[in-house]
Amino acid sequence: MRRILIAALALLLAGCGVADSGVSDEGRAPTGVAPGTTLYFVDEDGGLRATLRDTGRLGTITEALTLLLTGPGDSDLRTEIAPVAFTKVEVTLDGRVIELRVPLAAEEVTPLGADQIVCTALAAHVQSGGSAEATVRLLFTIGAPGSDAPRTCPLIG
Amino acid sequence: MTPPFRGLRARLVVAFALVTMLGAGAAAWAGAASASEALVESNQRQLTRDFTDRIASVAPTLSYPPDQATLDRLRAAVGADTAVSFEDLLSADGDAALVTDELRAAVREDGRLASQRITAEGRPLLLIGAPVVITEPDGTRRPSGIEVYAVRDLTEVEARIDDLTLSAIGTASLALPLAAAVALLAAGSVLRPVRKLRDTARRLADGDLGARSAAAGADELAQLTVTVNEMAASVQSSMTAMRRMQADAKRFAADVSHELRTPLTTLTAVAEVLEDAADRMEDDAAESARLAVTEIHRLVRLVEDLMEVSRFDAGAVRPRLEDLDAADAVRDTLRARGWLDRVALAAPPGVALRADRRRLDVVVANLVGNALRHGGPPVRVRVAAEGAAVLIEVSDGGPGLPEQVLPHVFERFYKADGARARTPGSGLGLAIALANARLHGGDLTAANTADGARFTLRLPADPEGT
Repeated sequence: MRRILIAALALLLAGCGVADSGVSDEGRAPTGVAPGTTLYFVDEDGGLRATLRDTGRLGTITEALTLLLTGPGDSDLRTEIAPVAFTKVEVTLDGRVIELRVPLAAEEVTPLGADQIVCTALAAHVQSGGSAEATVRLLFTIGAPGSDAPRTCPLIG
Repeated sequence: MTPPFRGLRARLVVAFALVTMLGAGAAAWAGAASASEALVESNQRQLTRDFTDRIASVAPTLSYPPDQATLDRLRAAVGADTAVSFEDLLSADGDAALVTDELRAAVREDGRLASQRITAEGRPLLLIGAPVVITEPDGTRRPSGIEVYAVRDLTEVEARIDDLTLSAIGTASLALPLAAAVALLAAGSVLRPVRKLRDTARRLADGDLGARSAAAGADELAQLTVTVNEMAASVQSSMTAMRRMQADAKRFAADVSHELRTPLTTLTAVAEVLEDAADRMEDDAAESARLAVTEIHRLVRLVEDLMEVSRFDAGAVRPRLEDLDAADAVRDTLRARGWLDRVALAAPPGVALRADRRRLDVVVANLVGNALRHGGPPVRVRVAAEGAAVLIEVSDGGPGLPEQVLPHVFERFYKADGARARTPGSGLGLAIALANARLHGGDLTAANTADGARFTLRLPADPEGT
């Protein structure tokens, strides 16, 4: 009888406290570091080209878009986005939709220029750990019919 | 009464309570264990998510490849007790040194977020480790060489688990009074028929053969009750039959004795005439006549003794008590039989005795007669007062009673040897003597002394007194 009681008590106490455990997998590793920001410009053949702007870090989507709007600099690439004085882009993340409020009118950006913006934003998003299946909506200062439809980057995803 | 915890009720209650407590305890333990596990899991998940969130939120702002300052910044963002390493650089603080090699190896090998629970310095700790990876725009991932390890204290979780366990034990022990109450009820329902049965058995043992228990239900106890009832009924019918047979036998003996009395009276008268006439007969005829007379006297004695015995058996004997002097009574008996000169009487006067004079005479005459007939001289009779009793001892100087005879001397018609068969005794004398002694509330015992047999009659001085 006494032995049964002790066994029951021991069993009961085994349920107490936090037991040690082995190493368990908890999922994907965090990400977000990069030697620079990836920007998309247009090369001589009229195709999109990813270039690494050596900022020393990945930076945010806003920062990446600011760099994009600033222009390709003195490289042999060009941009299809009209130059603007105000380069701040408002970024809103809503689930898998990235909403970009760009300081441009729809007519100031060619379709290729829109791809530049979308790809740059998506690259920054993916590199900082976001989903590659996210879509981008461009909100222009002056929109065009269908200009705020969800877009994806032809080079990503 | 039964000692504590040995009675059926206590054992039932203890067993019931124990089983209930074990059940409740097991259920509570299982509940507490799974709740604890869930608690630990959710806590662990929250801590690891917080860990990755903090890294992910600061990572895009970190320069790569990182310098010492960058590592320090990352470490500060993740929180206390954190270590951040990149190639030869290391930024660590607090308990980060507790991280196990096992976890480091797993993190390096799998390139994924990993955790491990350990106990160090008496505290439960959660170790979290992860490499920081570089993701290309197309989604491919490669290690950056940065590793982050953090140590998180689970003491608070453990305290909550302990609370949980304590409350589980408390809940389980709430079942104890309930179990005891139910057990008492169950024990009562089991024990009530048992007690009734016990009472019935006691009444049966006390002689109330009509006692029965009502059998309710169809369980083992009911079966037992039925069996006991059947047993009682069978005993009762046997007893009734036996009593009837006993009564029949007694009545038969009494009837026979009674019926024989008249012809025997006649026979006795005839025998006296015959005895007188025998002197004038021829020798052969006189011999036969004397033999017939002797046998007639024996027959009369036998029938008288049988009548006496049957009266005792019928319980129809009442002693007629009167105040006597024991010595005088014994002396009267000896004188009436003409034995005074053959018996040494030691009887101090003044031993008061209240008894039936005729019956006392019968007993003493039987004892002395036996001693004279079967024992050897000297025959001694001693009368003495012993406390509230009067002793009358009859001893002889004969060979004594054989050992195998001693226990049977007071049985009816018991003959010590074949030679006694022809003695004039009826074989009922000692049985009647014992019955008379008992009638007075006394006793009669036989024993062997160094030089013969001794019969001791012990009578209370006053059978009616206390």
